[in-house]
Amino acid sequence: MEKYLMQMVMGCIGAVGFAVLFNVSRDKLLYIVSASALSWMGYAVCMLYGTGVFWAFFCGTAVAALISEILARVVQAPVLMLLVPILIPLIPGGDLYHMMSNLVRGNDPEVLRYGRLLLLEAGAIALGIICVASFMSILTSLRRRRHS
Amino acid sequence: MLPKNIQLESQEYLAKEEALLACILDMGEMLLKSGAEVMRVEDTISRLCKVYNFTKYDVFTITSSIVLTVRTLGGRTLTQTRRIKARDTDLGRVAQVNALSRRLCAGPLDLDAFQEAVEQLRQAQTYPVWILRLMHIMISAAFSLFFGGTFMDAVAGALSGLVLYEFLRLTAPVQLNGTLQCALASFVTGMAAVLLYRMGLGQHPDMMIIGNIMLLIPGIAFTTSLRDIINGDTLSGLLGLCEAILRALAVASGFAVVLLLTGG
Repeated sequence: MEKYLMQMVMGCIGAVGFAVLFNVSRDKLLYIVSASALSWMGYAVCMLYGTGVFWAFFCGTAVAALISEILARVVQAPVLMLLVPILIPLIPGGDLYHMMSNLVRGNDPEVLRYGRLLLLEAGAIALGIICVASFMSILTSLRRRRHS
Repeated sequence: MLPKNIQLESQEYLAKEEALLACILDMGEMLLKSGAEVMRVEDTISRLCKVYNFTKYDVFTITSSIVLTVRTLGGRTLTQTRRIKARDTDLGRVAQVNALSRRLCAGPLDLDAFQEAVEQLRQAQTYPVWILRLMHIMISAAFSLFFGGTFMDAVAGALSGLVLYEFLRLTAPVQLNGTLQCALASFVTGMAAVLLYRMGLGQHPDMMIIGNIMLLIPGIAFTTSLRDIINGDTLSGLLGLCEAILRALAVASGFAVVLLLTGG
């Protein structure tokens, strides 16, 4: 529990850092902090309930994507601008490193384990983004049809 | 808008149309270079063409090129192409171009004002260097802790993050290939981290390096290319995905060389 809380704080700091590196304007930074905290909570809740890594990453990503789609419409900003920094804490940099370092050390079972984890996590993030984006585009096209 | 009183066939009119086309392409180029999705680029260009009274417009964009062909009111067909060599991530600029395009769609500016607005966007401010430096330090430290490092690991990670930033800044004028630059950057950073560890700063070189890895991982390329694929721009999406995977491998191999040289 404390671990996730600490990770949430550090992840949010990281998200803001990346938002600045990507030149996101100052007035959007607060949105990004809160959204990435929520997205990390989505991940942490899934992990605590024992859904496994895949669904936890999927859930965290879906929360992030959903918030950025909605927020983008509210503040009239591109979705990507919000989504990219918000997703930063979920990027599996640690596992990429562990896979590599075990590969160098010749520790094959660990390489496999981390490699599998990496694929799972990247897949879950991809699926999360794809699901939410498809859902939103279906929603907008339905709405457009009703208006015309 | 184009002045109404000039002849549709006149030389002056043609020159204006061409300048207008160049301006619209400038907007698209800025978007693509700053890391926007292909669909946004094509959508923006199409909207602008419509607003500026081109009777037919076809735009084709992939990650490395934009082709735009329009038919003018006078019945001429014009084509311009832009080759995009390097892309970086400037989401602020994407938002600004987007805002300008919204404004133009609400009420088009005349050519001179349009050109001026585009020029202004091109020179728009980014954050000052000291803030970027600070962010590299902050991100490295935060992710060292995030992945389970101790406080001293975070301090050491922050220092190697600074090395990473200075390396990227100093090599920027050389305009290395992105993948190669990533590999070199991760190598230099990894060396700095191991050196700091040998000097007695930080307990886990792993945790220091992980903080730095986050700075190099192509998260944006991954996200953009996925969105491209969903939007139906499969080709661009695959190109972007390949680039992201290549860069991730480059980062990993840069650190791998460090581990091999220093014996883990």
